[in-house]
Amino acid sequence: MSGRHGAERNRLPVNGRALATTAKAVAPAMMARAKQSVRAALPDGLAPPTMPGGIEPPPSRRSVGIDYDTDWARTYPARLARVVLLEGMVRPGVTALARPTVRGLDRLDDLDGPAIFAANHHSHLDTPLLGTTIPDPWRHRLVIGAAADYFFGNRLTAPLSALVVGAIPIERQKVSRRSADEAAALIDDGWSFLIFPEGGRSPDGWGQPFRGGAAYLSLRCEVPVVPIHIEGTGRILRKGRSLPKPSPTTITFGTPLHPRTDEDSRRFASRLEREVAALADESRTDWYEARRRAHAGATPPLQGPEVGAWRRTWDLGDRSPRRKRRARWPEL
Amino acid sequence: MPRPGFVLDVDRSTPPILFHHGEGFRLERLPADRSRVIYPAEPLPALRHPDEAIRQALCNPVGDSPPLPELLRAGMKLTIAFDDISLPLPPMQRPDIRQRVIEAVLDMAAEAGVDDVELIAALALHRRMTPSELRHALGDRVYDAFAPHGLLTNHDAEDPDNLVELGTTDAGEVVEMNRRAAESDLLVYVNINLVSMDGGWKSTATGLSSYRSLRHHHNVRTMEHSTSFMDRHRSELHHSNWRMGEVIRSSGPRIFQIETTMNNNVFGTEGPMAVLQKREWEWTARDRVSFTAMRKGLEQLSAANRRRIFQNWKAPHAMTSVQAGEVEAVHEVTLEHTYAQHLVPVEGQTDILTMGLPYICPYNVNSIMNPILVMCLGLGYFFNLYRGKPLVRKGGVLIMSHPTPWEFHPVHHPSYIDFFEQVLAETTDRHEIEQRFEKSFAEDEWYRHLYRTSYAYHGVHPFYMWYWGSHALAHLGRIIVVGGDVRAVRRLGFQPASTLTDALEMASDVVGRDATVTHVHNPPILMADVT
Amino acid sequence: MKALRFERSPARFAAAMVAGRLAGGGGATVGPLRLRDIDDVELPGPDWVHIKPRLAGICGSDLATVDGKASRYFEPIVSFPFVPGHEVVADLIEPAGSSGTAPGSTGKPDGSHRVVLEPVLGCVARGIDPVCPACARGDLGNCERIAFGSIPPGLQSGYCCATGGGWSTAMVAHRSQLHPVDPAMSDEAAVMVEPTACAVHAALSSEITDSDTVVVLGAGTLGLLATAAIRRFTPPKTLVVVAKHDHQRRLARQLGADTVVAPGEIRRAVRRATGSLAIGDGDVVRLCGGADVVLDCVGSSASVADSLDVIRPRGRVTLVGMAGHTSLDLTPLWQRELRLQGAYAYGTETLADGTRRRTFDLAFELVAAAQLDELVSATYPLRRYAEAIAHAADAGRRGAVKVAFDLRQEKERNR
Repeated sequence: MSGRHGAERNRLPVNGRALATTAKAVAPAMMARAKQSVRAALPDGLAPPTMPGGIEPPPSRRSVGIDYDTDWARTYPARLARVVLLEGMVRPGVTALARPTVRGLDRLDDLDGPAIFAANHHSHLDTPLLGTTIPDPWRHRLVIGAAADYFFGNRLTAPLSALVVGAIPIERQKVSRRSADEAAALIDDGWSFLIFPEGGRSPDGWGQPFRGGAAYLSLRCEVPVVPIHIEGTGRILRKGRSLPKPSPTTITFGTPLHPRTDEDSRRFASRLEREVAALADESRTDWYEARRRAHAGATPPLQGPEVGAWRRTWDLGDRSPRRKRRARWPEL
Repeated sequence: MPRPGFVLDVDRSTPPILFHHGEGFRLERLPADRSRVIYPAEPLPALRHPDEAIRQALCNPVGDSPPLPELLRAGMKLTIAFDDISLPLPPMQRPDIRQRVIEAVLDMAAEAGVDDVELIAALALHRRMTPSELRHALGDRVYDAFAPHGLLTNHDAEDPDNLVELGTTDAGEVVEMNRRAAESDLLVYVNINLVSMDGGWKSTATGLSSYRSLRHHHNVRTMEHSTSFMDRHRSELHHSNWRMGEVIRSSGPRIFQIETTMNNNVFGTEGPMAVLQKREWEWTARDRVSFTAMRKGLEQLSAANRRRIFQNWKAPHAMTSVQAGEVEAVHEVTLEHTYAQHLVPVEGQTDILTMGLPYICPYNVNSIMNPILVMCLGLGYFFNLYRGKPLVRKGGVLIMSHPTPWEFHPVHHPSYIDFFEQVLAETTDRHEIEQRFEKSFAEDEWYRHLYRTSYAYHGVHPFYMWYWGSHALAHLGRIIVVGGDVRAVRRLGFQPASTLTDALEMASDVVGRDATVTHVHNPPILMADVT
Repeated sequence: MKALRFERSPARFAAAMVAGRLAGGGGATVGPLRLRDIDDVELPGPDWVHIKPRLAGICGSDLATVDGKASRYFEPIVSFPFVPGHEVVADLIEPAGSSGTAPGSTGKPDGSHRVVLEPVLGCVARGIDPVCPACARGDLGNCERIAFGSIPPGLQSGYCCATGGGWSTAMVAHRSQLHPVDPAMSDEAAVMVEPTACAVHAALSSEITDSDTVVVLGAGTLGLLATAAIRRFTPPKTLVVVAKHDHQRRLARQLGADTVVAPGEIRRAVRRATGSLAIGDGDVVRLCGGADVVLDCVGSSASVADSLDVIRPRGRVTLVGMAGHTSLDLTPLWQRELRLQGAYAYGTETLADGTRRRTFDLAFELVAAAQLDELVSATYPLRRYAEAIAHAADAGRRGAVKVAFDLRQEKERNR
């Protein structure tokens, strides 16, 4: 009884969803009418020409998506603005939401020059999280490969993606020559890359197979790949959710990997995946156990078991961070 | 190409020379035409790919030893011992060499599927390492993998259940060793060989042993016959350890020794401290400004804050070599590398030796350099950094510069306080000290308790500090401390002087007016090869 | 005769209290102590004789009196005006016709011979017969009749209006109070006998055994003498002496201390000497064990508190110095079941082998054996009394131990 009353009291007097649907339908028509009235108001010569009938309209030059030009976002003012945004807004937000524990940074001590950072991907939060935890000097010359269709989809998101996270558009499904050339040029220019080789956020909390992009770039530009494992962002904002829930995260940096002479990008990508899986193992147990399993080929895979959906979800339950017993020191 | 060390003859146009003075500095003009300054070599280049070098060393051992991977097998008992907080000096920037080496060793052990692994800080009678110090030395990964399970421990030389007697040397020296290490199938010892004294059989025979063993070589007689203890082949200290090594070889565990050497880059090539490893006439305007600012700034601070600043310095010195395998063969290679960085040829002895003692010695990392440690650093370490003959002639004068505060770290050095207040107040005679007092300090229940459960040096440790200076005490005619706490200096049995000029004047009573002066410009570390 | 006399004068007493707080011995110039020319003291009874002090020591209790610091406890057991001075070596002038010289002594040509005064005024000196139980045992210091009998109240010569005192050219003494001085013994040695007797009594009444660790707190005259007495008559396993000044350290070691430490170092020294455990991570915040016996030869609040800090459970603390008003936490006394006892004056002692000897005899023996005459650091004529008292009050810092008045050259005496 009381529950129903409560629900009714909270309901808005207008139906929001119906309103939004109507607005979406009406908007193009209203835009067209607005254009028309502007055209009518302007004197000839100033008014945009109309398209004569029977003429095939030339293909409109696409300025968003994969073709979006992000050069401006790597100019000095834009980088400066990015630092201000990252340190002033993104970092406080990320710290509040994710409380990151960063491990393994010492493995980057011997790393010189540009590198490709390759991480598993659970959440939109991964990008700002890594954008603030990848250490100097790479952080300030870092570009992020972002799905062209998603992040560069329209004129609003494209410049924002380019500015705030320093993204460049790449295609998810294939390595296109164009985006690969551009990325290679950037690496040769001293920029480092952050790539999520899974190609998208995890749909169910398990990993997806690593695609070859990062491996390909590494082979092509002869720069090392730094495997990174991110644990916990899925709990904060997983795919399909819109409201974040604060939760601690652990980011584990791995030893930079160089492609072996006998490796193509596919094999290198699968080694990369194994390394990230080993890092996942390391963050769950401890380094020595993880190394032993890694050497024995027994590292639990990122992708989870090939079983029914409910069992995959069930198994995932065990992956939450184990509460470690705090060792008392000194042991007397 | 780094320049080698060299000897500067002081003339009238020589600029004032830098003397370290605890957590501060002095600039001193040395008398022209009869003084010389020995400069250390510039830092040798570091290994470019240290992790790769370590792997190479482990897989290509020297001496009679199979590669490490061949010694590892599933089901074995593996113990990794490593040098404690006293090495290197100052503590190095992360990652520490021990972390690199131990990760490499453990990765091989993981590959072989070794389950039973323990790590032991081989600290003999030094204080235990704190969790954060262990974390710094071994890195988070190793620490987090072993410490929570109690598999990363500090050696306890006062735990009778965890010591085992391996035998007795020809000279009747008892060899006692950490039980876990002794009963392992393989003992891997990870060294940081900062100076030529470190490493060899001393690692295991000293680092993992007990008072019962140590007293055979940590005594006045041995130290007087170690000329110097930095010269392995003329050091009774090392002869004794090598004898014990024979016992360990025949009845102890199999040992895989890993030794690493470091370069001289303790103050860095840039940053506020860089000026300290430049030669004075090469100081740029910027160096001079930063030096003066640093000196003036430090003077404004309280002693505790100065100490905090210096103790927080993590040096950028880096690994110059790594070798692994059979103990003695490894150590010979190590010595070559240490000597390559440290040895400076010097002709002839001097009447007066001067030295500026820095803020740190092996026993006051994250702690206070008390007067006994000042004595040990000057008369023990610096004096003995020679090969051939001592830098100063027999009966000559030693002038050290250090504030020598009457101050002790009660947690780290409880028995030092009592040694200073009760023993040195009665006598500074090393033989008398050894005979009358050593035993009671060594067996004191409270010191033992603090050593085992807190972070205290063993009760007998201040005696060893005193013995460390035995050779110098027997050799020198007079010892003067410049700028030290007068009461503390007198308590040590030395003479206080407020300026170097006064000290030289006092020295002239012993060695005459035209005595020659030699200053060792250490740190960075140098070792005089005196002919 | 010339004498330094202590008179009852509330105003001057108040002034002395103020001056004494400002500087030790400051009460000498403004206080009730004044240099006077007074009539000779008359003999109070038949067995009394005139003696002429040669040297008279300045004792800690004298200083407290001069500076108005002495406890009001003394008021009923002294009688005003009195001439201080109870550490006295004097010439005994045998009255004409008297037959006796003390046995074993050699008289001087003028018929006088030297004596040391045992100043306690017990039943015998007071003409009380039968004597009180304490005096009967020979424990003169514990006499229960000190305000009664033929003479006015006064616990010792030097606090009684009828006897005079050592800080003058003449005084009287009961024959029973006098101990003859061997001619080989210097005046300086003889004047040390009385304080030495105090120390011997303190040492022997502390029941020290040869397995004990003993602490002597303070290395002024009493501390040093106690050190010597303990070393000679009842040597312990370890004897720790707390000394502030360099000459005290040297003398303490010379007189038999095993370990000499500075005041701030006492806890650590006792901890190490006894091998006991301590609470505090490397600092000694509190000792769990401690010394078996402590002789507090300072007598301040701080020194008594130190004594309670370093004593083991069921240990014994002897207050040798005059403690006066002190404020201290007695919780350790209760929790550790301590015995806190005083040691005043002298009488008869029982030695380890069960023999009973007069304290003064033991003191004579010790003074000679340990060459305690060295402890007399300075002597002054009466007219420089203010300097003398200031010197005595500041003895430690000024490198002195015992300061005494030298009366041998005073005109009045030799008239």
